Amino acid sequence: MRADEDVLRRLMIDGLGGDAAAHAALLRLLVPVLRGFYRRRANGSEDDIEDLVQETLIAVHGRRASYDRERAFTAWVFAIARYKMVDHFRRVRRLQPIDGLEDVLLAEDFEPATQARLDVEELLAILPAKQARMIRATRLDGLSVAEAAEAGGIGESDVKVSVHRGLKALVARIQGGGR
Amino acid sequence: MNTDDLISRLSQDVPPVPRRAVGRRLAIGIAFGGVVSAALVVLVLGIRPDLGLAMRGPTFWMKWSYTFSLAIAAVVMVVQLARPDSVRLRWTWLLAAPVTVLGILGVTELARTPPGEWLAMWLGHSWMICPWLVLALAMPIFVGLLWSFRRLAPTRLRAAGAAAGLAAGAFAATVYCIHCPEVSAIFVLTWYSLGILLAASLGALLGPRLLRW
Repeated sequence: MRADEDVLRRLMIDGLGGDAAAHAALLRLLVPVLRGFYRRRANGSEDDIEDLVQETLIAVHGRRASYDRERAFTAWVFAIARYKMVDHFRRVRRLQPIDGLEDVLLAEDFEPATQARLDVEELLAILPAKQARMIRATRLDGLSVAEAAEAGGIGESDVKVSVHRGLKALVARIQGGGR
Repeated sequence: MNTDDLISRLSQDVPPVPRRAVGRRLAIGIAFGGVVSAALVVLVLGIRPDLGLAMRGPTFWMKWSYTFSLAIAAVVMVVQLARPDSVRLRWTWLLAAPVTVLGILGVTELARTPPGEWLAMWLGHSWMICPWLVLALAMPIFVGLLWSFRRLAPTRLRAAGAAAGLAAGAFAATVYCIHCPEVSAIFVLTWYSLGILLAASLGALLGPRLLRW
């Protein structure tokens, strides 16, 4: 099964309905997604990454009541993952005041970044679904083109073209200011 | 622990989650805290002796509507901040509405009163303790909200703490209405609001520490 928004969201909603198998499938699908997310952002050891992944899974499980079925599931998961990462940096920062400087900056940049993300979400809403999804995957969630292609079940060139066209449309929209 | 084992362990406990789970959970926390606060008012402070009479007049309902609508507006904030992915708060202007309305009432009230009585009207009989009582009564409700947050996922802890404190303070002030015999709008606008703001500030101060998960 591919870990894209529709699949994950369906599993989450089934899990919220009390379907334990769907919930287990969801958590299993999230493992590689989260590992990729943390590897790309936190340059910790594999143990640290795995700790973060597990903490995030526990949070996704324990705080699943905070998911709104009407909203994007990946946005919810990544918001939790980011929170866990920031929390992790805060703890590590106390022990390594100089080494983690980039991470500290990243952590403190968290709020404006997520606010910017919301603006971006609004802009993306004007694009065709595939373009929006591919821009989200490659530019926001930090997947590589290959990963995005796999997650979306489309070819790599299709990903590149979608991202390119989507960004072009967004630029036109922002510069033109009109609709 | 191995991640696969963790997943199998977590998947053994998958109770259904109702659609409005966030609101429900917050409502339960507020209700439990509110019952404790109300019990404190009844047992420690005492209900105002003329409550039955006061409930037939407009002043009681003026106070009550102010604190209750403020509480509802604060809960609207708490609901949004209880989710990890809601970064831009909507409906914040709701908080200003009760304050504005009561402000207008206060000005008309002042206009009808001779200036010599303004100070007495503003300070009432209890201005020194009113904010502190509101703050104290807010504590059980704040604790109730902390309980609610244990299954929710706030990511902006200071804002969530402030909103929870604001809601707790406003509900506490609503409960406090059954004790407090003050009648003037500017009294409520100043001293009730001060108590509510103290609760919100305490929430903002403690939020990052108490809401971490």
